[in-house]
Amino acid sequence: MPIRSPFHERVAPYCTSYTWKDWAGYYAVSHYGETHLPEYWAFRESCAITDITPLFKYVIQGKDAARLLSRMAVRGFAKMQIGRVAYTCWCDANGKVIDDGTVSRLGEDHFFVTAAEPTLSWMSRLSRGFDVEIADVSEQTGALSLQGPTSRDVLKQCSDANLGRLKFFQTTSARLDGIDVQISRTGYSGDLGYELWCDAQDSLRVWDAVMAVGRDYGIQPAGIEALDMVRIEAGFIMLGVDYYSAPHVTIDARRSSPYEIGLDWCVRLDRGAFMGQEALRAEAARGSEWKMIGLEADWLELERLYESYHLPPALAPAACRQSVPLYSGGKFVGQVTSTVWSPLLKRYISLASVKAQYGKLGTKLKLEHTAFYERRTVTATVVERPFFDPERKRAP
Amino acid sequence: MSRAIVIGAGHNGLVAGLLLARAGRKVTIVEQRGEVGGLCAASEVHPGYTVPGLLHDTTGVRRDVVDLLGLSRFGLAFESEAPSVLAAHSDHKGVVLHAEAKRSRDELEMLHKGDGDGYIEWRGFLSRIRDFVSGVLSQKPPMMKPDSIAELWSLGKTGFGLRRLGKADMLELMRVAPMCAADWLQEFFGDPLPAAALAAPSAIGASLGPWSAGTAASLLLYECVRGAEVKGGPAALTQSLQKAFEAAGGEIALESEVARIRLDHGAVCGVELEGGRFVEALLVVASCDPKRALLDLIEPGTLPLDVEEQVASVRMRGMTAKVNLALDGRISFRDREGERHARAVVADHLDDIERAFDAAKYRACSERPHLEVSVPSVNDPSLAPAGKDVVSVLAHAAPHNLEGGWSGETSARFGDAVVEVLERVAPGTSAKIVAREVLSPADLEDRYDLTGGHIHHGEHALDQLLFMRPTPKLARYKTPIEGLYLGGSGSHPGGGVTCQPGALAAEAILKG
Repeated sequence: MPIRSPFHERVAPYCTSYTWKDWAGYYAVSHYGETHLPEYWAFRESCAITDITPLFKYVIQGKDAARLLSRMAVRGFAKMQIGRVAYTCWCDANGKVIDDGTVSRLGEDHFFVTAAEPTLSWMSRLSRGFDVEIADVSEQTGALSLQGPTSRDVLKQCSDANLGRLKFFQTTSARLDGIDVQISRTGYSGDLGYELWCDAQDSLRVWDAVMAVGRDYGIQPAGIEALDMVRIEAGFIMLGVDYYSAPHVTIDARRSSPYEIGLDWCVRLDRGAFMGQEALRAEAARGSEWKMIGLEADWLELERLYESYHLPPALAPAACRQSVPLYSGGKFVGQVTSTVWSPLLKRYISLASVKAQYGKLGTKLKLEHTAFYERRTVTATVVERPFFDPERKRAP
Repeated sequence: MSRAIVIGAGHNGLVAGLLLARAGRKVTIVEQRGEVGGLCAASEVHPGYTVPGLLHDTTGVRRDVVDLLGLSRFGLAFESEAPSVLAAHSDHKGVVLHAEAKRSRDELEMLHKGDGDGYIEWRGFLSRIRDFVSGVLSQKPPMMKPDSIAELWSLGKTGFGLRRLGKADMLELMRVAPMCAADWLQEFFGDPLPAAALAAPSAIGASLGPWSAGTAASLLLYECVRGAEVKGGPAALTQSLQKAFEAAGGEIALESEVARIRLDHGAVCGVELEGGRFVEALLVVASCDPKRALLDLIEPGTLPLDVEEQVASVRMRGMTAKVNLALDGRISFRDREGERHARAVVADHLDDIERAFDAAKYRACSERPHLEVSVPSVNDPSLAPAGKDVVSVLAHAAPHNLEGGWSGETSARFGDAVVEVLERVAPGTSAKIVAREVLSPADLEDRYDLTGGHIHHGEHALDQLLFMRPTPKLARYKTPIEGLYLGGSGSHPGGGVTCQPGALAAEAILKG
């Protein structure tokens, strides 16, 4: 049975829908009200607040902290500036991705790591001979995500952080209603947004302080369903949906390298030894088998498809995590892994994994679509990711 | 040609260095201690009393390696025959176990009817499989998945050698190898003493008792390669190796402790010595133990994780302590006045050995240790003053991870237990002691830089022998780090004074 997050007492009364999911062993709200759409719009128009405590969180300290992380992840951390946050992934010895997450450098020998899956044992295994202490602070740390155009205004009102100087993917310590918090300009929405980390014991006070000022800025508690929509718009992949953790699957075909899930930009090959280096070097030279792409279905064709059954297009404005086959010339060439009809963009967009030669921008593929019980296909085009990338995300 | 560095000037380091130097490499052996020889170096117990090595058994030294190296030209000589061993007993005169079994027949038959014939039968089986076993031990361990015709040929030859034993002996070998030494030996002997004396070596170097499965294999590997001892003991062996090595142009740097094996793009580029001096080399042979070489001397985080984890899990729990005694007079075993015995095993019963191991298993010292005794002054009187003996004892079981840790006090207590056991089989010995040196596994770790104080650089157990020594991925002397090879007792065929790991490592380097 899932456990309650330190914010549960505050979150639960809002959850009038009583729809809960199990997120990494915690109760997490699917959607609060009758529908998730107000929460979706809060992400894009005002400020959505999400309890992200279920993330796994670790503090790595010691002389070799940067070396440990450099050994684990596909990038190095020796030269990372204090106060920076990096998105990264980590691989097994065969260069297949285990998990992805963020690494914040809080001090010369002090890092904070988030992950989707338990990672303590993996980090410990990699730390033999290193002068490091790895602490699993998952349960001791409360975490909130504030995402949306007014998120900065909300935080400005309730904290002393110099948000004007906090750049995209930077982190700072701050005081919030007299409480020490860590604020990072990060998130899963692809929009202007922040994540707040606090001592779990202070969670309720942090929530109250943020909500008190948030009211004037349209703050809205948001659940997983709305979050899933915005992350697809932002083009972000999700473990267990768009790719699978290498050690958790039984067949190699289900494993992915960073190159195959669109994380090429994260990989720094030419440095000291790290997990998967040899395999990734070989793959970089050889070329990858799969490619993660953005895909947009042809709306008019979809309309015509429904019209042939005398039906209007019936697409729920919700994220779909079901994989759907893609074809080219009648041949299976890959699958869509996450799909959403974006109410903001008015586009039917997907993240998909296709054989590399079908991944070029502009490539037309056939997306399976079931309308009125019958499996048909519609044309879908390989397009740029992210689908939504507002300037305010990075703006000073 | 670029320089090669060998870490450690023990017998294996010297052999590897010598073979490389003979092949035209410029070789430097770096040795942390102030003398050559490692576990074979002589040390003075007391003025006038010298033990020729921490290890004292040279019966495993490979004749073919010695011949290949031409060590006789550098003063190496063997005794004329394989030594006899006195199986001493607390209550009676024990028996002398000769390598030539029929010489022991009468004594054994007196002890227990049938044991004399049992011994002949046992030795007979060993002599029939000897060529096969020593053949396996003198070549690189077979690859389970041969990657070349040559490897396939080599594996095929091994298989053929096994088949050539004849059906009966082949099946017997396969039946016996995974057994426990105790069960096997009890098939031959009715009296507990010969079984205990013969089983004792199988318990040495492993964290096992004679009732542990797989100890028969260790016993086979030990017995099948035994021959005559080196004249002058281990020290004489390493002295001749040193001479040969220096004659071949090699140099030895003493008091040069390696701090780090330095790498450049995943390949060896040299070693950094304590004190900061850097010595360039593209080839490094580590004759130190595999954990020291790969976990301590290599920058952490450099080895592939699977290799690192396998090395870390190699079992190296030291169980052996060394006790050296300087006697004012000669050692005299019970009811054997006037006889001289250079070697003795002290364990009345298999259960004594098992109980000694039991204590160690639970991190305590055995109160009644079993002993492997060498009296080097019997063959070389110059090691002790005239008419007196120096005694070298390897005592079991003394766990490295002793509860509460080793101290002067715990060492002394264990030394007392050893002397007490010795007194029972050689009455009057304790009164003759003028000096006693007790080296606990912790002392061995400090003095010789042995991980876990393990004299064999890794336990001799079925899963840590042959193609699994020290680990499956490192069994061919090569490591994942280009230019770095293992060449010590941690590699096939294992610990003890054999010279074989060093020779095979050099062969792996020179022949690929």
